[in-house]
Parts: sequence; C-alpha cells; structure tokens
Amino acid sequence: MRRRPNYLAGAGSIVWLVVVGLPLYVMLAATLRTREDYAGKGPVSFPDHFTLDNYTGAFDSGFGRYFLNTIIVTVCVVGVVLLLVPPLAYAIVRSRSRIASQIFRLFLLGLAIPAQAVIVPMFYLISEAGLYDNLLGVILPTAAFCLPMSALILSGAMRDISPELFEAMTMDGASPRRMFFQLVVPLSRGGLSTIVVFSALQAWNGFLFPLVLTQSEETKVITLGLYNFQTAHGIDIPGLLGAVTLSMVPVLLVYLFARRALVQGLMGMGGK
Amino acid sequence: MTTQLTSAPPTAEAPRKARRRPEDSYAAHGTRPGFLWALPATLFFTLFAIAPLIMVAVLSFMSWDGLGSPEFVGTDNWKRILDDPVMIRSIWLTLLLTALGVVLQTPLSIVIGVWAAGHQRNRAVLSAIYFIPLLLSATAVSVLWRALLDPNFGIPARMTWLFGDGNLFGEQASAIGVLAFVSTWQYTPFHTLIYQGAARAIPPVLYQAAEIDGAGRFRQFFHITLPQLRNSIVTSMILMIVGGLTTFETVLILTQGGPGTDTTISAYYMYQKAFKGFDFGAGSAIALCLVIAATVVSLIVVRVSGYDKMRSDMEGVS
Amino acid sequence: MTMRTRMPRLVAGGATLALAASLAACGSGSGGSSNDGKIHVLVYGDSANKVEKQIVDTFNKTSKVKAVLDTIPGADYQQKLQTIISTPQAPDIFFNWGGGSIKPFVKAGLLMPLDDFVKKDPNLDDKFLPTVYNSAVVDGKPYGIPMRGTQPVLLFSNKDVLAKAGVKQPQTWDQLLDAVRKLKDAGVTPIALGGGDQWPTLMWFEYLYDRVAGPGLFQKALGGDKDAWASADSKKALGMIKELVDAGAFGKNYDSVKYTNGSSPALVAQGKAGFELMGSWYYSQQQTDAKDFAAKGLGYAAFPTVPGGKGDPSNVVGNTNNFYSVLKKTKHPEAVAEFLKLMYSDEFVKAQLSIGNLPTTTTTSQFVDQSASPEYSRFQYDLVAKAKSFQLSWDQAYPQTASTPMHQAVQQFLNGQLDEDGFIKAMQALPNE
Repeated sequence: MRRRPNYLAGAGSIVWLVVVGLPLYVMLAATLRTREDYAGKGPVSFPDHFTLDNYTGAFDSGFGRYFLNTIIVTVCVVGVVLLLVPPLAYAIVRSRSRIASQIFRLFLLGLAIPAQAVIVPMFYLISEAGLYDNLLGVILPTAAFCLPMSALILSGAMRDISPELFEAMTMDGASPRRMFFQLVVPLSRGGLSTIVVFSALQAWNGFLFPLVLTQSEETKVITLGLYNFQTAHGIDIPGLLGAVTLSMVPVLLVYLFARRALVQGLMGMGGK
Repeated sequence: MTTQLTSAPPTAEAPRKARRRPEDSYAAHGTRPGFLWALPATLFFTLFAIAPLIMVAVLSFMSWDGLGSPEFVGTDNWKRILDDPVMIRSIWLTLLLTALGVVLQTPLSIVIGVWAAGHQRNRAVLSAIYFIPLLLSATAVSVLWRALLDPNFGIPARMTWLFGDGNLFGEQASAIGVLAFVSTWQYTPFHTLIYQGAARAIPPVLYQAAEIDGAGRFRQFFHITLPQLRNSIVTSMILMIVGGLTTFETVLILTQGGPGTDTTISAYYMYQKAFKGFDFGAGSAIALCLVIAATVVSLIVVRVSGYDKMRSDMEGVS
Repeated sequence: MTMRTRMPRLVAGGATLALAASLAACGSGSGGSSNDGKIHVLVYGDSANKVEKQIVDTFNKTSKVKAVLDTIPGADYQQKLQTIISTPQAPDIFFNWGGGSIKPFVKAGLLMPLDDFVKKDPNLDDKFLPTVYNSAVVDGKPYGIPMRGTQPVLLFSNKDVLAKAGVKQPQTWDQLLDAVRKLKDAGVTPIALGGGDQWPTLMWFEYLYDRVAGPGLFQKALGGDKDAWASADSKKALGMIKELVDAGAFGKNYDSVKYTNGSSPALVAQGKAGFELMGSWYYSQQQTDAKDFAAKGLGYAAFPTVPGGKGDPSNVVGNTNNFYSVLKKTKHPEAVAEFLKLMYSDEFVKAQLSIGNLPTTTTTSQFVDQSASPEYSRFQYDLVAKAKSFQLSWDQAYPQTASTPMHQAVQQFLNGQLDEDGFIKAMQALPNE
C-alpha cells in the first residue's frame, strides 16, 4: 500500500524497542542469577552464575498461595462487574426514565473518585462489616471502582446496536427483558469482553485495597507479595524480579492464547 | 446510520441535530427498561464509593488518630492544609506530573499506534513486544526501574556522559523526570493500543483519495489520520488525566516523595498524612481536594469532548 | 422460541449461583478474630519468624489456652498495627520497638502495664539488661518485655579499601575526617550512605548528637523542651555533620543510593566505598549478598569518639530491642504472662542466637559462643552490656507521626535544602505526644 519504506518510522521503532526491551531483558537476566552475582555486577551486566533459585524461592515464600488469592479476587471482581454492569448500561442506553440519566451522571462523576481518596472510610466500612482481612473485603470495593469505567465502555458499545433491531423486536412484542437477553447482550459482546479485560486487569494489579484491607499470609495477593519483598532492612532484587516475572506469567498466557480478544478488549476502551 | 455512529465523533452540533428525529412513534409503552435495571449497580456503587466519599467529607472536619473516637474540630484541618506549603506544592506537582504524562504519552502513543496499525509482519511482532509493559503492575514497574536507575550499578553508571554523577533521585527536576518517564514507559503501550484500534478503523478510501491528490505521508497524517483519531484522543486523555491525578505506587516506590518533599504529590501526601502521620482529618481534607480537582478536570474534558451529550445523542438515534 | 428465551435465563441463573458460590468461597478461610479462646500474637513478618513460631509451639505444648502467631510482613507493620489496634481485629500481644512506637497506645489506654506481672515474677524485669528494658518504660511503668535481639548501630568498613588508602579504623572524629580525605584521594567514596531511604542518614545525627551533647539533649527535646534543638551543642553537632558532608564523605549521589535495594552495601563490598554506618543486621545482609567479603574483608567498630564531647564514649544508638506489649482487653492475662516468661528461657536465647539475633537477657553471655557468628555476637554483646546509655533510634523514640517530617529534615539538611536554622525549626515542629 505504501510507496517507499518509511525509514524514519523504522529507526524510531528500533529506538522504542530498546527502551521497552532493555528493562525487560534486565528483569529476565536478573531472575536467572544469584543474589551475589547481581549485587556484585549490577543489573545491566550479563549473568555469570545461572540459577533457578529465584523462581523456586518465590514459590517457597508463598507465591502459590498469592496466585490463588489473586485469581479468586480477579474472577469474583469480573463476576460482580458482569452481573451489575450490563443491566446498568442497558438502562442508561434504553431507559426513558429521568432517574436513569441522573444515574449515568453519577457514574460519570464516579470516574473522578480516586480509590486513595476513600481508603480511610473504606477501611472502617469493611472492618465494621467483618470483612477485614478477608478476600471478599477486597473484591467488593475493587469491583465498585471498576463500575464507572465499565458502565461508560459498555453503554458506548450498546449505543452502537442498530435501532432498527430494537424496532423489530418491539413489533414482535418483546419485553425489555427479552430484548436484553436476546439482542443487547449478544450484540455487545465486544464491549463485554472489554469490561472483562478492564476489570480483570484492575483486580489483578490492584494494590491499595489489598494493602489496607488485608494483613495475613492467607489473604495476600501477588502485588502485596511483591511489595513485601521489600522489608525494612534489605531487599533481594533477583528474588523480587523472579516473583515479578512469575506474576506476569498468567497474564502472558492469556495474552498468548487469547491475544485477539485481549487486544481487542483493550482497543475497545478507546471508545467509538 | 451505523457507519455514521462508529466513524464520526458525535461532537459537532450540526450532524446531531440532523439526526434527531421526532419522538419515536414506535416506542410503545413497556418496551423500554425502567431505571430499576440500573438499581443494583447504583446501590452497590453508592455503598462502596459514594458513601465512603461522604464519610471523607465528614472526617475532614474532624480530628482523629485512629485510636480514640473522632472529634469535631470545624474547619481546623482545612485551615491547616491550606496553610501548608507542602500541600499547595503537592497540588502543583500533581498537575505538573499529569500534564507531563499527557504531553509525553499522547504524541508517542499516537505515532506508535498509527505505525502499529499497519499490517506488515514486522510491525505485528514489534507491537507484540511493545505490549509487554502493560502486563506488569505499577508496583513491579517501579521496583524494576529503581534497580535500573541505581547511580552506581544501573544504567547511569554506564552512561556517565549523559547522567553525570547519576544523582537522579537527589534533585527535584531529575526526580520528576524519572517519574514522568517511568509512567510513560508503563502506560504508553496501553494508549498505543487505543490508537492502533482507532487507526485501523479509518476507512482506507480516505487515504486512497489523498494519494490520488498527491498528498505525502506527513500531509496524510495531519489531514486524515489525526482528525479521524479525535475521539480516541479525548478518551485516551481522560484516562491519562485520571490516571495521572491518582498516581501513587510509582511515587511510593521510586522516590517516596523525595528528595525532601520535592516529589510529594497530593495522593502520596494524603497517604502520608493519613497512614504514616495518623492525621486522618487532614488526610481526608487532602483526599477531598483530590476528588474536587479530578472532578473539575474531568468535567472540563467531558464538556469539551461531548461525553455528557452522548445520552441526548442516543435519544435522537433510537 | 420458548426454548430460546429460557436458555439465557437459565444461563444467567446459573451464573448467579456460581457467583454466589464463589463469593461464599472467598468469604471463608480468613483469619484474625480474637474471640476464639486463643491468644493472638502479632509480629513483624520476616525471616526471624521461625523462632517466634518455635516459641509459640513450645508454649502450646503445655498451655491450655493456645497461642496463634499472626504476622504483618513488610515495612508497613506500624501503620497496619495502628489501624487495627482499636478494632476487634486487635491482637492480644504484639511486637513493637518500645519508646514512641507504643506511647500513643499507652496514652489511649489500650495497653496493660506489666508491673503486676513483674510483681508475680520478678524475673520479667531482672533477667534483661536494664538499658534495654528501660526503653519500653512509659511514665514509670513497664509496657514491654524484650523479644528478638538488640541492634546497635556500628561503623562497618571494607578492610582492604582502608589498608590500600593507608587508613586505620578511626577511633576519634579527627581520625575519621582524616580517613575521609585519604579515601577520597584514593578515588573511592569514603562513606557509603543510602540517603534515598532517609533513615540511614538519621543514624549520623543520632551518634553525633549523643557524642557531642550526651543523651540528655535528645531526652529533653523528646520531653517537650524545644529549645534543646537550638542549643549550642545542637549547633555544634550540626556543624560537624556539615563538615563531613563538605569534605565529600558521602560522595555526590547519596540521595539516589538506597540501602534497601542492596545498593549501598554493594558499594562497600565491592571496594567502591570505605565505610558504612548501619545497624547490626548489616553483617547478615553482607553474608547473603557478598559471602567472601563478609568472611574476610568486613570490619566493624564502635562509632568514633568526639574529644571534648559530653557523651560517654561507650554510648550506643540503634534499635535497643523489640518488645512484646500486651493489650488491656486481653481475655487471658494469665496465659499471656506465661507466654512472656518464655522470653528469658534458654531455648529462646539459643534459638535467637542461632539465627544471628542477639537477645538482651542476662543469660545471653553464657550462650553467645553458640551463635552463628560468635566473634561478632560477642563484640556486640559487650558493647551493649557496657554502654552507659543506649539511645533508641530517634524515629522510634518519637511517636510514629513524627517520623516522616524527621526523615525529610535530616535528608534536607544533608543535601543543603535546609540550613541550620531550617533544620532546628523542623525538629522543633515535630509532634512529641
């Protein structure tokens, strides 16, 4: 399609490759070397002593458990979002009620509420509900903070459903519920996969809620496990980066096997 | 209708009016969902986001260290934080970092996104690699870069011609630079994807027509690609701004707000006041400032972009 | 058509059920409630936990009321503790640093004074070194029983680097300044400093103030006498710190160096720096990161004396010890008292020594040769046992609320963002209640 090769873009793409790739190389290299080798030669060098201890070490320090917790949190958050957002978006897009439009405003404003801002009362809310140090106590607020963006994305997707289709179903005498299940849900699959990806990433990488709302080993998620590698008086960088690499693996697998869905889900966030 | 919706941004006034139809005659009673459909999500959101927000507002007028019971102190906390030079500066720093993020990431991700939208094989491979930082959490990214930028053992030690004595975290300007760079590194892939998707959706006809007119690559970019991406630019910028205002882990791990208080942005200052200083009253006041700032900024962007008009727009459509 | 309409509903129903089930699954399997007839012991989570586990197991063998060990890992122990201590999730016994770390809890009436326990079992007082025991005494009453070990701050060095530059381990301040000059001439950073972490910088202030003015100045300041910071002694100590910085002792990029990512210890281990002032845990850190160096090249000594200073040369600063404190509302005070008695047991002392900690019981000296590194343990023990005063780290002595502004002030004084007056003002503004 293009007339001549774009040298400028080519050069730029290589520069960016270095910027993105170097840290990733350093990370992988660090995870394969001993702590002594790393401390001795610094992060940018090539490792001398190869070892897999950093990976086994991560599992010894409980990463298996953290993985399980993170997966539970992610699945539950996605579940809550999938349960709540489609009817919400449906009402936003199709309802004639004034209340529904006020609700949409509420969620638009909700976009601007940073999780940090409400963390103090959140702690007491969760604590009073007896959910402190309980994964459910992480799931509920995380899901709540996924709602505004998900509502925005999904209502955007539902708007793209051709009005003629609604018209046709109306002629059929279909109830709002039937339209929802037979028309709206199947036709907003793209938007649905976007909100799944969005909320899954939020839950997977969530930091602040687990930091404040959990404490014990039994409820620890991966991001906290990473953070806690950094104790007050010292840090094992190769071990830490080994853990970081491990924490990437599930997302990487999803990426490899469901690349199209994931990328399209993320692209969908650009909105139409 | 459909093409119009997907390709053209619903921002301009004229086309919207043109699309508006008289009140639908076919919308018989009972075929539209009531607001009850929105109720579960709204209640859930109110309980876990709005209610805590109201509690923050109340707490900002109280004195509390987390141990005893909170005491009402009037506008004491507010006077204190509005007199606090660190607080005032933290707002500016937050805005500066947010602006830097937008300024750095927007052109970069547009260029890379448009480039990656091409269907060449090497581009597919490279953009797959570009994507990887997105898989890392902010925590992991910060830890990684802290190690890489160590003055004695990291990159600065090998590139002294560029970094001098490598005191990147010891000066305000360079510390801010590091924060902006690391955020860019982490979030550019994400915005790139947004643009990649949008660029692919641009109808090839437009380019073909331009080629016939003899427009060069740059003219095509500025006259076709950029205008077509307008809507994505707005979305991506809202995400950048909200993300920028709430940056937290990056500062916590990379600079801890230092040197001194030189990179203490509002979100981090709030965390410091509340969870290190156990001054929950002042912390809540800062949190509220943050919410107000974020709301104002998003309102402006929403107004400018026409996001809030979407509903009435939709009304016209159906 | 009916089939088709029913399907989604079934699917939706199924999804709801599955979700409810998974939520219920999430809900189970959580920890931490203190009404379960057990005593909950909350400690800072790190590699030393294995000894705490062992002690809990020993206790549970004989006790009817069982103990449960809970940990909060990482650097945010203190924050977490303060957020939960007045909630139902509060433990019965918890780990702390004594001093300011428990003062707010005492003021809030949450802690149990231990004098009754001590009356019943005087060993709970007599079996510990007094300099250490006293740092958990608040308003004349003991609130903590020492556990784990003492962590004095020592001046570590790379012996080879020192030898090459013709420098001996400095005994006095002037010798230290001389060593700094020589090391600088030899092309190495004289003193490694993890300024990015801020608290390593504080150690220099703690020692110089103690050497110049004696422990009294800080005690006065902590007691609320703000003028102490503006005194002549205070200014003298600040002048000496400035002198050290201006001599290039810490190099130029110390604010970008961290101790916590292993960077400053690596400088010393690799011969790029001569000295580092750090807590006694430095030794085991070097053993993990640079085994050969720790075995052959790592030197350690007490902080140099300052001629004409008011502080006793034997004084040390650092983390005097960790302590167990008890919540007033515990339902099993007898069991708690029995548990605390284990802290001076031989089993405890031996187990701590075996992992490199140095307990401060009076019996430690009998077992010190069984430690993981006997020579080093002996040196530390003698240092602490002979010390006239053991100043608890300033950031632990002050309430937790003061630590952030204090850390910022020392960093800013060192890098020149604050001058003498600015520093004095910052310290005077610290909350001491």
